[in-house]
Amino acid sequence: MAPSAKRNNTWALLGASPAGKGVVLFSLLLAVMIGFTNGAGSLFNVLVTGGMWALLAVGLALVFGVMNIPTFAHGESFMVGAYVGFYVFNPMQNYLLDHPNPTLMLLAPLLACLGATLAGAVLGVLTERLAVAPLRRRTKEGWIMNTFLLTAGISFIMINGATIVMGANFKGIPRYYDFHPVEILGIRMSVDRLVALGIAVLIIAALVWFMKWTRTGRAIRAVSQDEMGAQMVGINLNFIHTLTYALATAMAAAAGAALLFMFQAYPTVGHDPNYYAWFVIMLVGFGNIYGAVVGGFIVALLQAATQTYIGIQWADVVPTAVMILILILVPSGIFGSVVKGVHEQS
Amino acid sequence: MSNGDKGQGVITRSLGQVGFTPLGVALFVLLVLCPFIPPFNNEYIVRWVIVGAYFAAQAVAFDFTAGFINVVPFGFAAIVGTGAYTSAIFANQSLGLAFHPGLSPWVGIWIGALVAGLMGFGLGILTLRLRGIFAAVMSWFVGIALMGLARNLTWLTRGPSGMAPVTFFKSTSNIPYLYVILAMLLVIYVSLNLMTKSHIGLAFRAMGQNYDAACASGINPTRYRVLNFTVSSMFAGWLGGFYAHYLGSLTPDSIMDTSKTIEILAIAYIGGRGSLWGGIVVAFPMVFLMELIRSHSGMPGLQFVIYGVLLILVMIYYPLGIAGVFQWMKKRILPAFAR
Repeated sequence: MAPSAKRNNTWALLGASPAGKGVVLFSLLLAVMIGFTNGAGSLFNVLVTGGMWALLAVGLALVFGVMNIPTFAHGESFMVGAYVGFYVFNPMQNYLLDHPNPTLMLLAPLLACLGATLAGAVLGVLTERLAVAPLRRRTKEGWIMNTFLLTAGISFIMINGATIVMGANFKGIPRYYDFHPVEILGIRMSVDRLVALGIAVLIIAALVWFMKWTRTGRAIRAVSQDEMGAQMVGINLNFIHTLTYALATAMAAAAGAALLFMFQAYPTVGHDPNYYAWFVIMLVGFGNIYGAVVGGFIVALLQAATQTYIGIQWADVVPTAVMILILILVPSGIFGSVVKGVHEQS
Repeated sequence: MSNGDKGQGVITRSLGQVGFTPLGVALFVLLVLCPFIPPFNNEYIVRWVIVGAYFAAQAVAFDFTAGFINVVPFGFAAIVGTGAYTSAIFANQSLGLAFHPGLSPWVGIWIGALVAGLMGFGLGILTLRLRGIFAAVMSWFVGIALMGLARNLTWLTRGPSGMAPVTFFKSTSNIPYLYVILAMLLVIYVSLNLMTKSHIGLAFRAMGQNYDAACASGINPTRYRVLNFTVSSMFAGWLGGFYAHYLGSLTPDSIMDTSKTIEILAIAYIGGRGSLWGGIVVAFPMVFLMELIRSHSGMPGLQFVIYGVLLILVMIYYPLGIAGVFQWMKKRILPAFAR
């Protein structure tokens, strides 16, 4: 009795419709199939990519749920993270070549991620204060569409600004850790990927803990449920908005740094992460944070299935086909949209 | 620019019906005559006017959707590209590709418009019963998918290396193209203006301003939105056909990328959303300025940064755009002179 009750709770947390359950079961089936075709090692890669998409999508869902902003500039936070990660890690690596130091060698990639996260947070605060907050002060009319376009403009500026400042060439590293791949249960896992997955899991867990158990996290949830009510009980709305936005950009930047060995830093590197994060959000339903975590892995599986069975050149076409099905069958997403507020108005 | 006031002449009023003021007509005539007026009669200027008119016409079609029903077609560039590719494919004579009907580009451009219109219709049916953001994001997704198709269907489009569509005219002069694009701009502007001034336009505006109130007063939102999307996409595809047969080269990235949509978006919004003519007024100087910046600044992409900054400033601080400035001048400054 107890396990089934627990399972029901999990579904409730996701807000799963029958479609959601179906898609999850189908994804598990897909995972087994991919595991048989490509070996279990590819499933590990799916897990890593999925963790990263989840990290990005959670940020999108958070910003949409709390502030009703459909951020289009999420990929550019990823881009900034990748650049910062590169410029933090690269000097340290050069230094290590001359002065071997095991502790620093272990810490350097983590420091790169930390630096990127901080830079992402600063970026978020700046964007929110300089662009979003002035718009909010002026008008809330057509808020969702306006902020979508506003962030699209920001993304446009940042991509082209990065081209001017950084140049159009790739800045990447072959790997973070120069170790042999670890073998667990007969699956070879590169240390970099393990660390990236660990970072994703850690950050998402920290976010969930923060949202559930801290005063500020509760305040964020209160704002997402009812802005006016939150204001009445003395929550500083401006602070919560800035914090939420900064959290999202920081998470995206952390993902950018953690995946530097897969995605080299260049001006338009954010396109794919942004696209897949949006795919996750459309798939699971707007503003559904827990759904976004599961959705990240579903999308990564779908990507792997596309590569394995259809061909990598169709990677841009398959998500749209899936989205068309979703829009026809369950337009509010497989786990259901949980957004209140302006979303209902326009 | 054109609410026919009392006491104005019949001509002005009937011009107003199609969205022109005497000033607008004068400026348009200037564009038509520019290849014959001495300082402007060089190929460089003519080329600039062509590109300006191409952007202006796109901005009008874009504004028809974004400014009126408040749904932003984020895959607009891909729809333009669909028209361009369709037209190029139907006009293709090269035996190197599997499909080579070799129709005249003058026929192809219409097929392109038709296919783009159908695309808009399908996209509209799919997304427009939902809230606007679904349409915007889905349109972006479809845009990326269309670009993926253009890249991968190599037997049809030659993939990323691009097609070389036949041009409209054999001569290398730009002047015939100028008249084609100006005519297209005129047709698009006038027909969309007539549409927005009819009861259909009223319904569009009502939905854009307050969706729920519009539904409550008996407007079927999906039908009007799909109509709007279809018309806008059709004109977008039509313009794409012009692009293909003017430049004579076509790659997925040069026409279908999302950044192209953002350029049009910036022009339309700086011009003033919901005005239609604002985009035209902004497009010509913007294209010229941006071309200057691109060729003289030595910083690739600087012009796009400026586009983006202007877009954001207009969105936050002056959502009415250039059209708003004109309205303000008309209200405040002209009466002072009339006294």
